[in-house]
Amino acid sequence: MSPHLRGTHSIEWMMHTFIIGLIPPAVMALYLFGIQCLVIMALSMATAVIVEAAIQRLTNQQLTYKDCHAILTGLMLALILPPSVPWWIPVVGASVAIILGKLVFGGLGNYPFNPPLVAWVVLKLSWPERMSLFFAPHTHSQALTPLMAFKEDPSLFYSYDMIDLFLGNIPGPLGTVCGLAVLIGAVFILYRGVIRWHIPISFLFGVGLFAGILHAINPDVYPPAIFHLLSGGLLLGAFFIAPEPVTSPVTPKGMLLFGTLAGILTMIIRMWGAYPDGTFYAILIMNTATPLFNYLKPRKYGRLKRA
Amino acid sequence: MTFFSKGITLKKKKTSLNLNLIESPLPKRVILPLQQYIGDPSEPVVTKGDKVKAGQLIATASKENSLPLYATISGTVEDITEHDNYKGTPTPCIIIEGDGTDTWEVPPKEEKKDISSLALSEITERIHAAGLITNQLVPVPLTTDLVPIDQPKAHLIDGKRITRKIDTLIITALDKEPSLGVNRYLAGIRNEELADGIAALKMITGAQYIRLVVDTLYPPYTQLKELVKADEEETTAITPLNGRRFPTGLAIPLIKAVLGREVPLPYGHPRDVGVALYDIDTAIAVGKAVSTQTPQVESLITVGGGAMPESGIVRVRIGTSIGDLIESLGGFSASPAKIITGGPMTGMAHYDLTIPITRETQGLFALTRNEIQLSGDYRQCINCGLCVKVCPVNLVPGVLSLYCAKDQFDMAETQGLFDCIECGCCDYVCPSRRPMVHLFRHAKHQLMEKTG
Repeated sequence: MSPHLRGTHSIEWMMHTFIIGLIPPAVMALYLFGIQCLVIMALSMATAVIVEAAIQRLTNQQLTYKDCHAILTGLMLALILPPSVPWWIPVVGASVAIILGKLVFGGLGNYPFNPPLVAWVVLKLSWPERMSLFFAPHTHSQALTPLMAFKEDPSLFYSYDMIDLFLGNIPGPLGTVCGLAVLIGAVFILYRGVIRWHIPISFLFGVGLFAGILHAINPDVYPPAIFHLLSGGLLLGAFFIAPEPVTSPVTPKGMLLFGTLAGILTMIIRMWGAYPDGTFYAILIMNTATPLFNYLKPRKYGRLKRA
Repeated sequence: MTFFSKGITLKKKKTSLNLNLIESPLPKRVILPLQQYIGDPSEPVVTKGDKVKAGQLIATASKENSLPLYATISGTVEDITEHDNYKGTPTPCIIIEGDGTDTWEVPPKEEKKDISSLALSEITERIHAAGLITNQLVPVPLTTDLVPIDQPKAHLIDGKRITRKIDTLIITALDKEPSLGVNRYLAGIRNEELADGIAALKMITGAQYIRLVVDTLYPPYTQLKELVKADEEETTAITPLNGRRFPTGLAIPLIKAVLGREVPLPYGHPRDVGVALYDIDTAIAVGKAVSTQTPQVESLITVGGGAMPESGIVRVRIGTSIGDLIESLGGFSASPAKIITGGPMTGMAHYDLTIPITRETQGLFALTRNEIQLSGDYRQCINCGLCVKVCPVNLVPGVLSLYCAKDQFDMAETQGLFDCIECGCCDYVCPSRRPMVHLFRHAKHQLMEKTG
């Protein structure tokens, strides 16, 4: 049956690309927060793979560890955890991500929510104080992330240097602090074509537009758009989490709307919500609407224009 | 340079094209199906045991949609019997055992006349008599496909009858697939009949403008440039396209890439948007048919693939079986995994080496195990959207394949199943390796069986 040729694309290739793209943020996390990051990442990835294999073996399913999706799930979860978490947090989180996030729905291709985010929400609700304890880089002294500080006192954002935010010299979750590293990885995955520009760019556009309007209204209370774009998990979320294939729309129009709405939702949660960073919640909420965005089909080809 | 953003770019390795001409030796036996196109079969006028010469009429066009058939070698009619055609369906065929002398029936040679002095009906008559087909959408007799300027055909589009005059004639040097090369080869060499052929097609269709589509990767198309220069009214233009892209060479995306017009789907035809689209191969055949009145007995096909002894353009007598052709080129150089007529993206795989090369055949490929992807286990759709990115006719192939796989054929039809041109781009990029085109064909087949 034609076509008799096949491209080089495969699920493994896709997952490898994502994992390679996550290496710069992971290396940056090691540099900034020290060796315990390695423990968190290793535990998270190992748990994800082992739990998945064990459950698939118990339920007589085909083992899918070879496609590297479990490793990717573990790594992604580790990168959105704070560096201060005890060893059992990534273990519990990775198990939740694989079981509740992925396998109960039928494995890769079927889950409605991004598995690492499901685990992140479960951890955040179960152990809120452990999940919001951050270290300043290169130290073990407790510190607030820019967004947490901003939540307490909106005028504090002037004390942050945007260069620090971009290079990662701030407290925050492992992989999200260094915008530069995330962007390097993002360029790679965009180049390999596993994600398309629509979701990340419209996501950033949504945040930038909303923040820009607010800043124009009152520059004293609302920080400039660049602060919002570089802080929190926004860059990692926009380039790695929101465009995740399974839970994001497939049509260009759907992707643009998905990204823009996720960006606006992020800003709403950041400004008026109970949590400092809304990126992950915004993505989870938008995930629920993905099937609806897929109704935004491309224009039908060759329809005659009606006079 | 016009850019068509949909579709895929095939890897250099997969499209390596050799444009050497190989003359294949005279076959000892030819199998000539009475129907080498979609239409009505022709009526044999020879019987078993008759002596025939090359170029002799052996079957006449009895109905409107049939074409005359000519012997392609000299010899004896061995049998008139059913034999598998390239689709694997048994069709009545005339089998000729060659005598090895290749004596020709000399056609009534007429004084070579200037094309413009011929009447339209005379030109159409000669094209019909030569037995030409066109293979841009589906293989049909060229005379069925052509819309003469004096008899425009009306079409039912969106419930409305629409008649459009042909205004542009596209002559393409791009092949349907990057792996095929006959038209690119012909664009690079000099051909006396090309100008005649283009002039004849222009006269019949009444097109005002001519677009010559060339491949940027095979630049020496001097003759086409001369044609543009010779045209004083400046109605001829060259459009270069990247020939490594697929499916730019297929009719519907090609018209979009060259003129920006979208052929209405499903069941649309280039004439619905005022375009007549033919390739250089057809144009030259038309030129030959009109100026010298010789029937078509040989064709150029592309051969290639890792298991093929040679790669290049082969001039072969119509009716040669693919086994004989490969044998005459030197036999398989490696163990073939798939033998394909047509191109590797849209062609058909064969299990039988005795099937003949017919007018429809554009290429013959013997691919090794390493070159192909056997359809094996496929996984669930992971919703990545790569198929949406490449689909040239704006479908959502992933969703469509899910409906087809779950036997929801009616749902698939409402999602535009019949718009699919079966280019195979979605298959090519799918990371889950889902057999999309196979599923679509299955669904189309089921739906057509239901409606009859």
